[in-house]
Amino acid sequence: MLDVGRHPNIDLLAYSEIEKVEGQAGDFTVTVRRKARFVDESKCTGCGACEGKCPTIVSDDFNEGLGTRKAIYAYFAQGIPSTRTIDADYCRQLNGKKCGICQKTCQADAIDFDQKDRIVELNVGAIICAAGYEVFDPSQIPEYRYQEIPNVVTAMEFERLLSASGPTGGHVDRPSDRAVESEIAEFEKKAKKSEKVVANFEKKYESNSAEFYEKFQSGQYKDDKDRVKWADKYSENLVIVESLEALKKKAETFATAKRLAFIQCVGSRDFRFYPFCSGYCCMHSIKEAIVANEHDTETTSTIFGMDIRAVGKGFEEYKIRGGNNSAISYTRSRVAEITEGQNSNPVVTYEDTRERKIKNQEFDMVILATACAPSAGIVDLSKLLGIELDDYNFIKTSPFSPVDCSIPGIFVCGCAGAPMDVPESVAQASSAAERAAETVFQYNFNKEKAVA
Amino acid sequence: MSEDILVIGGGIAGMQASLDLADMGINVHLVESLPSIGGKMSQLDKTFPTNDCAI
Repeated sequence: MLDVGRHPNIDLLAYSEIEKVEGQAGDFTVTVRRKARFVDESKCTGCGACEGKCPTIVSDDFNEGLGTRKAIYAYFAQGIPSTRTIDADYCRQLNGKKCGICQKTCQADAIDFDQKDRIVELNVGAIICAAGYEVFDPSQIPEYRYQEIPNVVTAMEFERLLSASGPTGGHVDRPSDRAVESEIAEFEKKAKKSEKVVANFEKKYESNSAEFYEKFQSGQYKDDKDRVKWADKYSENLVIVESLEALKKKAETFATAKRLAFIQCVGSRDFRFYPFCSGYCCMHSIKEAIVANEHDTETTSTIFGMDIRAVGKGFEEYKIRGGNNSAISYTRSRVAEITEGQNSNPVVTYEDTRERKIKNQEFDMVILATACAPSAGIVDLSKLLGIELDDYNFIKTSPFSPVDCSIPGIFVCGCAGAPMDVPESVAQASSAAERAAETVFQYNFNKEKAVA
Repeated sequence: MSEDILVIGGGIAGMQASLDLADMGINVHLVESLPSIGGKMSQLDKTFPTNDCAI
């Protein structure tokens, strides 16, 4: 990633979108919209002082909404280019409110609220489309109750929970427990505020609230408006403190998730959604189970699937190693439903296809191995490029020219063409690069020949 | 006529293609819609089958 940012031959246009494509192989004219970051890339040093002072808190897409970021942000810590971006949807200043704290904080004078989108025109000989994919939204499968049961998460969300740079610092804290913890933080704030109000009354009347409240309840001071307010505030405080104590007691029992269930083929190999096999999900479930076990050796994982497809160099060995060393059990099954049991524990109801029996099993967390869905913007992009898509909206290619699109001079690599894992994406990217270079050199060669 | 190449998408595939082309001496324009390159792979903690760090 760093190499891409530094390479003298790479002109990096991040936070940009393709607007128009004209021409043909050897001579395309492409219009690119460089979206306004409201931060001058050439001045920003990436120190992040602005981020520290920004008062607006926004849900963090990079952490799949499990964490928060500020309205001025770096997409992720090591992101290239190492500049900040202002989110125009949430920034106070850009929404007409008074703020501009980031501008006052920035020593490099990089914040520019007047920045506008810029249009750039490029002349290129070939185009490589590596537009990627989208994680399938499992809320389309009602029986898995994703989003209804907090401890049912997608593989990508679980990946963020496992990551040391993620919202939990690599501890597999259950989303239901994290919700309670943020509730506790909220109640603590409330309690502090209400204690302050009560303390003010105590000071004013030089008396203890508890004693006063006893007297008040026995009928005294009923006509004194100010004291009635005191009583109200004190009883309010009692309720807050009581709820806070109850939540804290609940939180004492919290532990990281130790019994994990992975459900395979969520959205893929399913005729309601995508009939194809997404290819990488078996392996990433095994990987996540192994990494979770590395974090905490008490962690056990059950992978529910029709079969485990470990096709690739070293993959089968990885699967066996997971089973032997990382407490993973592979259960050949079909999951019918996930319900919520006691203690926010998800309960998986499945058919054990070996024993032909219906079983229930309780877990701390369920991870859904979601399908590889086509990229959200691919239909618009394909129209701009004039290339054809297949039945599922992946870019159409033929088996004998797997990186060539339907138009000469345009090539595809990675998940924009079909679901594939990282090693395959890398191999295909090199292949597409070579095909694109061939196009450019060929036109160049023909040009030279014409001159001669 | 142009010898430059446009790469759309700055995920692992787009980055690899850009680097290969740039190393061949070709000028590459890499367009990414998000504020940073890296794509989905940057969200991954580790990659299989070697458990290498994704970033």
